[in-house]
Amino acid sequence: MEQSTSETPQKTFTCQLCGLVSPYSYYGQKPPNTRAIVLLEECFVTKDPFTPDKEKFLVLGSTCSLCSLCVCVGSDCSLFYTKRFCMKCVNKHLDQFPHQVQAELAKKKQSSRAAIS
Amino acid sequence: MDSDRRRDSRSWDWDSPQCRAQLDEIFFRQHDYIQAGSPEHKEFWAFFDRFQRFKTKKDMSGSGGARRKEDKEEGKDRGKTGKVDLGLPKEYDARYRINVSVCTRDIEERLGKSEHRSRQRSSGPGTQEISDCRLALLHFLDFSQRQSFGKLAKLRQEQKNLPIFQYRDRIVELVRSHPVVVVAGDTGCGKSTQVPQYLLSAGFNHIACTQPRRIACISLAKRVSFESLNQYGSKVGYQIRFETTRTPATKLLFLTEGLLLRQIQQDGTLSQYQVVIVDEVHERHLHCDFLLGVLRSLVAERPDLRLILMSATINIKLFSDYFSSAPVLQVPGRLFPIQVIYQPIPPEEQPSRSEKLDPRPYLRILQGIDQRYPPEERGDLLLFLSGVAEISTIQEACQIYATHTRRWIVLPLHSTLSSGPVFDIAPPGVRKCIISTNIAETSVTIDGVRFVVDSGKVKEMSFDPKAKMQRLQEFWISRASSEQRKGRAGRTGPGVCYRLYAESDYDAFAPYPVPEIHRVALDSLILQMKSMCLGDPLSFVFIDPPPAASIQTAVTYLKEQGALDNAGELTSIGRLLAQLPVDVVIGKMLVLGSLFNLVEPVLTVSAALSVQSPFLRSSQHNPDCATARQPLHSNQGDPFTLLSTFNAWVEVKGERGGGSRKWCRRRGLEEQRLYEMVNLRRQFKDLLRSHGLLESEHSAPSDGDRGQRRERLTERRKLHQLKRDHEQQEGSRRKVLRLAEGQDEELSSGSDTEEKGRGKKDKEGSEQNMDIQDVKFKLRHNVSKLQEAVSVSQDLSSRQQALLKLLLCRGLYPQLALPDEHNSTRKDSEQVFHTKNKQGVVIHPTSVFASDPEVLHVPEDDSREMGPDRQDSSRHQLLAFVTLLETNKPYLSNCVRVPALQALLLVANSVDSNADCTRLVVDGWLELELREPEEALKVLSTALTLRAEWERLLLAQLGQSTVGGPAGQGVSRRVMEKLSDGLVRFVLYTEVSYSLRRLTAFQTQNLYIGPQSESELSHSKAPDLNPLFPGAEVKPHPIKGGLRVTSFFTYNCLADSKDLYSECLRTFWSCPNCDLYMPLTPLERMQHEASCRPAGEQQQLEEGGKAGSSSVSSLTRVYHCDVCNEDLTLTPTEILKHKRQHMYSTK
Repeated sequence: MEQSTSETPQKTFTCQLCGLVSPYSYYGQKPPNTRAIVLLEECFVTKDPFTPDKEKFLVLGSTCSLCSLCVCVGSDCSLFYTKRFCMKCVNKHLDQFPHQVQAELAKKKQSSRAAIS
Repeated sequence: MDSDRRRDSRSWDWDSPQCRAQLDEIFFRQHDYIQAGSPEHKEFWAFFDRFQRFKTKKDMSGSGGARRKEDKEEGKDRGKTGKVDLGLPKEYDARYRINVSVCTRDIEERLGKSEHRSRQRSSGPGTQEISDCRLALLHFLDFSQRQSFGKLAKLRQEQKNLPIFQYRDRIVELVRSHPVVVVAGDTGCGKSTQVPQYLLSAGFNHIACTQPRRIACISLAKRVSFESLNQYGSKVGYQIRFETTRTPATKLLFLTEGLLLRQIQQDGTLSQYQVVIVDEVHERHLHCDFLLGVLRSLVAERPDLRLILMSATINIKLFSDYFSSAPVLQVPGRLFPIQVIYQPIPPEEQPSRSEKLDPRPYLRILQGIDQRYPPEERGDLLLFLSGVAEISTIQEACQIYATHTRRWIVLPLHSTLSSGPVFDIAPPGVRKCIISTNIAETSVTIDGVRFVVDSGKVKEMSFDPKAKMQRLQEFWISRASSEQRKGRAGRTGPGVCYRLYAESDYDAFAPYPVPEIHRVALDSLILQMKSMCLGDPLSFVFIDPPPAASIQTAVTYLKEQGALDNAGELTSIGRLLAQLPVDVVIGKMLVLGSLFNLVEPVLTVSAALSVQSPFLRSSQHNPDCATARQPLHSNQGDPFTLLSTFNAWVEVKGERGGGSRKWCRRRGLEEQRLYEMVNLRRQFKDLLRSHGLLESEHSAPSDGDRGQRRERLTERRKLHQLKRDHEQQEGSRRKVLRLAEGQDEELSSGSDTEEKGRGKKDKEGSEQNMDIQDVKFKLRHNVSKLQEAVSVSQDLSSRQQALLKLLLCRGLYPQLALPDEHNSTRKDSEQVFHTKNKQGVVIHPTSVFASDPEVLHVPEDDSREMGPDRQDSSRHQLLAFVTLLETNKPYLSNCVRVPALQALLLVANSVDSNADCTRLVVDGWLELELREPEEALKVLSTALTLRAEWERLLLAQLGQSTVGGPAGQGVSRRVMEKLSDGLVRFVLYTEVSYSLRRLTAFQTQNLYIGPQSESELSHSKAPDLNPLFPGAEVKPHPIKGGLRVTSFFTYNCLADSKDLYSECLRTFWSCPNCDLYMPLTPLERMQHEASCRPAGEQQQLEEGGKAGSSSVSSLTRVYHCDVCNEDLTLTPTEILKHKRQHMYSTK
C-alpha cells in the first residue's frame, strides 16, 4: 500500500477552502520512511520539498472531523485541536474551544482586518 | 527508583553536552526521524533553548491562574449550548494543537519493544527531563511543519498573483488543440516561469524551453524547480555549453537556442521532446530566427510536436503569421504608472564624434532626484548608456557627486562585469545608481528601480561585407527598446523615466530594433544550414530573410576557407567545422593542430581566441599591472601572450589553488575568462576526440597508486560539499552594500591599497566566502592532468613556435594585414596596416604590437632600397588577425606576425606568377618581387611540394577520421614529422630577398594576360606537361590566362611579364635528388622537383604509402608518348628523360 502510493506521486490534494493545490504521495497516519512518527489524523502527505533530505515529510492537509471538508493545514483554513476542524466548523462551534484558541483567532481576525484597511 | 530520579534531576544540567547526549540516545538514534549529528538535530537543540526560555517566561507571567479560571468558563459554556459536543478536553494544552506523535526509546521500552536494561535508564535522565524533551520535540516537529507549509502556501500565493495565472487553463487548452501557440506578455507577467509549469502539471512531458542567454537557463531552472517543489530533484534541469543538470528523470529542460540547434543537427526530428518552448522570440537573435525557421518545417513533419513561442508584446503578428496564423494569447504585464520626462541634451552639451560624453545632463538628474525626493523614500536609479567607455565616463563623474553627497552608490553593469553588486541592497538613505548598457533592458532585471535615465543610444555590431569588417556603431534605439527601458522603472512601484531626447526624436525612432540576422556575418549560420541539409540558403524561409548579398558573401567566404567546395557543398573539413561551436577560423586551427604534434598549444590558443580577452582594459595604464604582466607578453603575437598567460595560470592553480584569484588581480586579468578558456579547451578536446582527430586519453589503470586515488576521492567529496554549501547559501539573502562599494568594484587593479580594501570584504565570511569558481574548476578538471598537458606547450622551441604560427596563419587566412611601407618612419601610435578589402587599419591598443611595433618593421641591415617604393628584404612580415572591428577606428585585434613570402606561398588561395617566377601576385592584392630567378624557382617549388604533401596528409587525417578509426593511424608519425620538419625549415630558413607591396587599383585592373588562343599557347604545349605533375591537371586558366598548375598556383598569367620568352627559355639545371642534368624551362623544373625525392626518402615514402593512401605511393603514371605512339608506365622523371630523348633526336 505504502509503496504503491509513493510510486504514483501525481495525485493532487486541493484545499476546498483556499484552493491550494499540490501533489501528494501518501494519505494516512503513518507516512513511509518516517520511522517512529505517527500522525494523529489521516493526512495528505508529501515529501518536504524544501529540504534535501528525502525522508522528511510535509503534511498538506486532512479532512475536517465534523464536516469532512478537505482542508489544508494553513491557519486560515483549519485548526487542529485533538482533531482537525475546518475554519467553517471552528467558527460555528467557537464557544466550545478553549479560551486560548478563541483569543488567538480573534487576534488574527483583527490583524487581518487591519491589513486590509 | 524514586531516589534515583531525585538525585538525577538535582544534578541535571540542560546545557551540559553529556546530558544532552543522554537524551540523544532516547530521541535521536540512528533509526529515528531525526538523527543525532544531522542539521535538524542541531536545529532542535537551538529550538529547545528558545522553547525553554519561552516556557519559563510564560510560567512567570502566571498563566496557571488563568487556566483554572478558563476551565470553569468552559464547563459553563458547554452546559448552555445545546449543540453538538465536540468532545474537546477540558483543560487547554498546547500539546493538543499538534497532530504528530513520536515513538521514542522510552515509549518503546514501556511497550516492551526494547531490550535495554533498566540499569542504563536509571543512570540517565529522569522522567521529567524526558517528558520536557519530548514536548519540545513535538513542538519542534510542529514548528518545522508550519515553516515548510508556510513556504509552500506563500509560493502558491505568489503564483496565483501573477497576471498569467488566470490564463492557465486557456494556455493548456490552446496548446492541446494547436501545434503552434504564441504567448505574448510583458516583463513581469510570469510567462517564462509559469507556462512550462502549467504544461508540466497538465501532463506534458519532455519539454524543452530555449533562452537566448545561458545565465537565464540556469536561473530559470533554479526558480522553476523550486516552484514545482522539485528543488532537490532533477525533474527540472538546464543545459548550457559546459554544464548540465539534466538526468533521465528530467521532464523540463532549459537550454540555449544554439544548443537546441545543435541537437536538431544530431536528430533532425527532435524526437526527444514533446514540447518546445522558444522564449524571448522578440529579441530576434540570429540563432532564434534560424531556430524558428527550422522548427517551422519540423512542425509540419511532426504533428505531435507542440511549439510555443513566447514574446514580449512586440510585433506579435509577425510570429503568428509566420506559423500560418497561430493563435495568440496576450497577457497584460504588471506595471505601475510611469511618468515620462523628456529632457533633450542642450546643443552645448552634445558630445562631438571624438569627444567624451558630457556628464552634466546626467548629474543634473541625480541632483534633481536628491532635491525632489526625500532620501527615506526608497528607489534606485538605472541609467542606460551605449557602451563601456561611456559608462566609465559617466561613472567617474557620478562617483565624485556620490562621494560628495553620500547619497548614492554608483555601480557599472555590462556584459564583461559580474553583476553581483547591482543586486545587493543600498543602506537606508542611499540609492543605487546603476549605469548599464542595454543588458539591463531585457536580460538583467533589477528590482527596486524607481528612476530610469535613457540616453536613447545603443551600440550595435554590424557587418560590412565589402570591407569584411565588423563595425560597432552607435545608433538611436527603437521605440520598442525605449518602452522597454521605461518599463524598468515601474516594476515595484510607480516610477519616473527621464529621456535624454525630445519627444519628436522618439516619434522618429524605428518601431523595432534591426534583427541580428540583418546585421551580422552569416558564415557560421550558412555552414550550419549546409550541414543540416537545408538546401539552398537563399530559398530557406526565414521569418525575415537576410539580404541575398549577405548570404552570398558568406558562401564565398566559406569557399575561400575551404569549408565549401566550388559547387557549394560541404568539404570534409567543412563538415567537421560545422560541428564545432566556434568561428570557422578557430575551427580550422583546431583541425590543423590535430595533424601535428601541437594539439595542446593549439587547443589553448583556440579557446583563448574564442572568449573575450582576459586582459582588463582598465588595468592597461596601471604601471604595477603592466610590470606584472610583462613576463607573459610575447612579441610573436597576442595568441602567444594568451598561451603563456593561460599556462602560467594553470601552474598557479596547481600550486596555490584559490590563490589564483589574487594572482589574476595583480596582473589585471579577469579570471572568469580563464575559467571559460579552460572549459572551452576541454570541450574542444572532446570534440576532436569524438571525431577521431585525437587519440583518446589512455585509460591508464595506474592513475596514481591507491592512496593517491583515495586522496583525490576525499578531495572531490570535500569540494562537492563546498559547492553544495555555497549553493544553499547563495539564495539566502541579499547583501547590504557599503557606501564605498562602487569605488571598490570599479577597478580591480593590483595595487596594495586595493588589496586591503578588498581584504575587508573577503574576511566578512572568511570560510564561507571561498572561491566557488575554484571549487567548480577543481571538480571539473584534474589539475595535475591539465598541468601535464600545459607543460607540453610551456617552452616551445623556436621550431615549434614557427610551426604553431604557420598553423594559426593558415587557420586565420585570409585575414591578413600588410604593414604600411612607411611605418618605420611613423610614431608608435600611428602605425598603419592594410587588409585586402580595407586600407588604413590600426592595431588595437590591447595588442602586443601596439606597444612594440618595431618587431614588425623590416630590419634596416637586411633591407636594400631598390628604388623609391621598392625595398628588398628577406624579412618582410604580415599580420594574421582574428578580428577587424571598427569602433571609432578600424582596429585589428589578436594578431600574430608571420614571414610574408613563406606564409603566403603555403596558405594563399591564389598565387600567380610571371614566366620566370620572379614576380608573384597573391590573392590579387599583394605583389612580391624576387630578385633572383634561381632562388624564386627554388622557393616556389619547395612551397608547392610542401603544400601538396600537407594537403595529402590533412585529407588522409580527415578521411580516416570519418571512418572513426583510431586517430593517428591514417598518417604515420614519421611522415607527419617529416612534413613538419620541412615546413619549419621553409618558414625559418628561407633567405630570399624580395619586395612586398600592395597593388594599386590600376594595377589590379590589368593584372592578367587573360585567356589565350591555342596558337599562343603552343610554345608551352600543355598536353605534354599534363602527366608530369602528379595529381594536378595543368591546363590553361580560363580567365587569368597562363597555366593553372595547382588549384592555387597559376603560372605565367601576369600581364606585364618582363620577358615574354622566359617561360620557354631552358637553362641547364641539375637535380639535387637524382642524377638529372639538363636544360629545363622553369615550369618543367618545378614539375620535376614536385615528384623527385632524395633516394632515401623515396623509399620511405613508398613504405609510408603502403600504410596510407595508395594513390600517391606510386609515382608512376601511364604516359602516352605521341612520338613512339605507345603507353608507357613511367615516373615523371622518366617521362621527362623520355621526352628529351625525342627532342634531341629530332634536333
